[in-house]
Amino acid sequence: MWKLKGENISKSFGGVTALKEVNFGIKEGEIVGLIGPNGAGKTTLFNVVAGVYRPDKGSIYLDDENVTNLNSHQLCRKGIARTFQIPRPFPELTCLENIMVSIIGREEKIHNSNEKLKEAKKFLKFVDLDNYGNILAKNLNLIQKKRLEVARALATNPKIMLLDEVFAGLNNTEIRDAVKLIERMKNEFEITQFWIEHVMGVIMEIAERIIVLDNGEKISEGKPIEVARDPKVIEAYLGDTDV
Amino acid sequence: MSSLFVNIFNGIVIGTIYALSALGISLILGAMNVMNFAHGEFYIFGAYFSYFFSRSLGFSPLIAILLSLGLIFWIGFLVEKTLIHSTYGNLMDSLIITFILSIVLQNIALIIFGPYPKKPPSWIIGSINVLDLFYYSSQRLITFIVAVLLLILFFIVMNKTWFGKIVRAISADREVASLMGINCDKVNSFSFGFGVALAGVAGAIISPIFGVTPMGGVGIGLTSVVVVVLGGMGSFKGCVIGGLLLGIIENIGVAYISSGYRNIFGFIILILILLFRPSGLFGTTIK
Amino acid sequence: MKKSNKNLLLVIFLGIVVCLPFLLDDYWLHVAILTLFYVIMASSWNLLAGYTGQVSFAHAAFAAIGAYISGILSVQMSISPLITLLFGSVIAAIFGLGLGLLCLKMGGIYLSLTTLGFSEIVHIIIKNEYEITRGTMGLEVPNLLGFYSKTAYFYIMLLVTFIIIFFLAKLIKSDHGLKFKSVLNDELAASSIGIDTVKVRVIAFTISSAIAGFAGGLYGHYLLLITPEMSSLSQMFMILAMTIIGGMGTLSGPIAGAVFLQVLSEYIRIFGKFHLLLFGVISLLVIKFAPGGIVGLYRKITQSKTDPLKIETQSKYDY
Repeated sequence: MWKLKGENISKSFGGVTALKEVNFGIKEGEIVGLIGPNGAGKTTLFNVVAGVYRPDKGSIYLDDENVTNLNSHQLCRKGIARTFQIPRPFPELTCLENIMVSIIGREEKIHNSNEKLKEAKKFLKFVDLDNYGNILAKNLNLIQKKRLEVARALATNPKIMLLDEVFAGLNNTEIRDAVKLIERMKNEFEITQFWIEHVMGVIMEIAERIIVLDNGEKISEGKPIEVARDPKVIEAYLGDTDV
Repeated sequence: MSSLFVNIFNGIVIGTIYALSALGISLILGAMNVMNFAHGEFYIFGAYFSYFFSRSLGFSPLIAILLSLGLIFWIGFLVEKTLIHSTYGNLMDSLIITFILSIVLQNIALIIFGPYPKKPPSWIIGSINVLDLFYYSSQRLITFIVAVLLLILFFIVMNKTWFGKIVRAISADREVASLMGINCDKVNSFSFGFGVALAGVAGAIISPIFGVTPMGGVGIGLTSVVVVVLGGMGSFKGCVIGGLLLGIIENIGVAYISSGYRNIFGFIILILILLFRPSGLFGTTIK
Repeated sequence: MKKSNKNLLLVIFLGIVVCLPFLLDDYWLHVAILTLFYVIMASSWNLLAGYTGQVSFAHAAFAAIGAYISGILSVQMSISPLITLLFGSVIAAIFGLGLGLLCLKMGGIYLSLTTLGFSEIVHIIIKNEYEITRGTMGLEVPNLLGFYSKTAYFYIMLLVTFIIIFFLAKLIKSDHGLKFKSVLNDELAASSIGIDTVKVRVIAFTISSAIAGFAGGLYGHYLLLITPEMSSLSQMFMILAMTIIGGMGTLSGPIAGAVFLQVLSEYIRIFGKFHLLLFGVISLLVIKFAPGGIVGLYRKITQSKTDPLKIETQSKYDY
């Protein structure tokens, strides 16, 4: 019944434990938020799920298939897409080419170049970058880079999307636009979403379920309202001076 | 039997030289994330300067070596400031630049010192009876002692001084180090100077035995890199053990197979490590 | 610059190149043939360094492998060089594939140091295996055509150069080229969207080794005497310097660089022993002050008046 499931995931770097026996599950079509103070292990968990790191212990299942030992590109072809905390579009490629790379990398190839072009333009339009097709990605501003990265991830035809701090560095208006984009993503592409957010804000309104990490361990899980009242969560966040 | 002992001991002597030079590469790699392909050329210049100061200017060997050490350090310092500094974060540029630098330095050496081997004067003559097993050249023995003392000095510097501590902090985790307020940039020129000075001093102390040629740096540079990979990138202890191991293997190989293939043994070891243990003996792979 | 202007220039340039045998004396025709060899070498090295971000120091060694394999086979087994040439290229490709598989998983530094080591080893083996390679004496190999004609060889070299440049241009503009560039730009991001980065690099490395092997063989059967110097690091340096001075990561860069350095070395012949030093210093200056090389400078001059945001895309995908 889980779309994506992690069992007992542990990971340490040179003696420092980043994740300790973390369990999580995400259902088809769900939007799940992953929150926690700085250094809680959120991005590490994402990197383990996306195949950048191998977990020291534990397994990851996608549609009940064990995908623990697959590489990033294999996981992507299985349907896991991601964005990065600091956006990483290909700086020396144009926006259109950025998306084209995703389309070329797909398992099911499109052979006709016109079809490919049409497909790529569809995703550019989805994130309102259709006027920037021939602009090099390095010339975009932060919000445009983030949108381009979302489009690039979407263009891989994912089943599930890992979003790492989409709202970081955005002002209120921009956050509202981003929320609209997220909702359209759910409605138009029916994508299951797993999100990291550092600050308990907008994510509490959108996510259906929240998982809280602290010091590499899962300390709470449940509906946003329940999590926000959980004393363990409050304590973890009180220790974090950034909030 | 005694020839085997001599070969092993020769291997240990040259091994300490490899270790010194490899520590320089390792230091630069750890502190700056730069692979210095011109390392061997600093080694030959260490030898050439010591030759120049002792043969041409008539200084005593010890003074000549110290002068050459200081000179190499400053050249390294300036090279970092002018050429390497702008390549941070761009591995490809630093690889290309240090490679070009190695060609430039080789050709400068060729023009100044000519193609034939140059030898600084020996410090001592004669040979010593070692435990009644074999006679060993005194110069080699004293070179070995000096090299060991330098290795010990290196570890003292790395463990006891602020510079050593900072470099180790940066090598362990650049981001954390910069969070702790360490200015990596300031340490860089110093590290590069220090790193190439290690190659320079290694060249200076071994040259009375083997002499030095403009192309002589290619083999030693490559060998030092192999030692770093063998010992494990990021491990200073690995450099010493890797250096000694490679020195012994090479000397036995040269004695029993062919001297033309000296550098091939290192390469075979490199391939074996890459195949079976990319992290080397004591290290971690770096990305 | 307008597209039609550019095409006109290209046609004039090609016209001059095709007429070279009638314009040049014997010696300069020889220089032209060498230049074509370097154009192929620099262009194929550029495929690696300029388009996938891998610095290989074994490119000259692959050329030497191609030359020696082809030479030895044609001498010892009396097979026509036209056939052995292909063998040389295939063997170089196999070595390239092997080296690529061995170290490309582990990233940039490992490739560079393994190729540097490999190149030294090839050099040492060629020097030492006297009975097969004739060592530093050099190996005499038969002429490709069976008769000696510089003009004919020039046209063969030119044809091969055209085909290879055309192939590289097609490759770079193809979807494969886009994959190469994505790996060059950001490996982690590329693998996150389904690009098998190791495979992409191994492919580029194998293709470039095959081209180097072929060019080496062709060059060997022209020189008629091949020496270990072919696999030396100075030779490798020339290829690298040409690419950098011309402009890495562009199609025309290595061509411009090869022509520039070859012609320059003819003019500074009197300073024979200084020329590697001079080229080294020029390359360092170019990296420091004009990282785009000759082509980059040219583009800066011609494009400065136009909108800086508008760029000419290299791929076939245009919005």
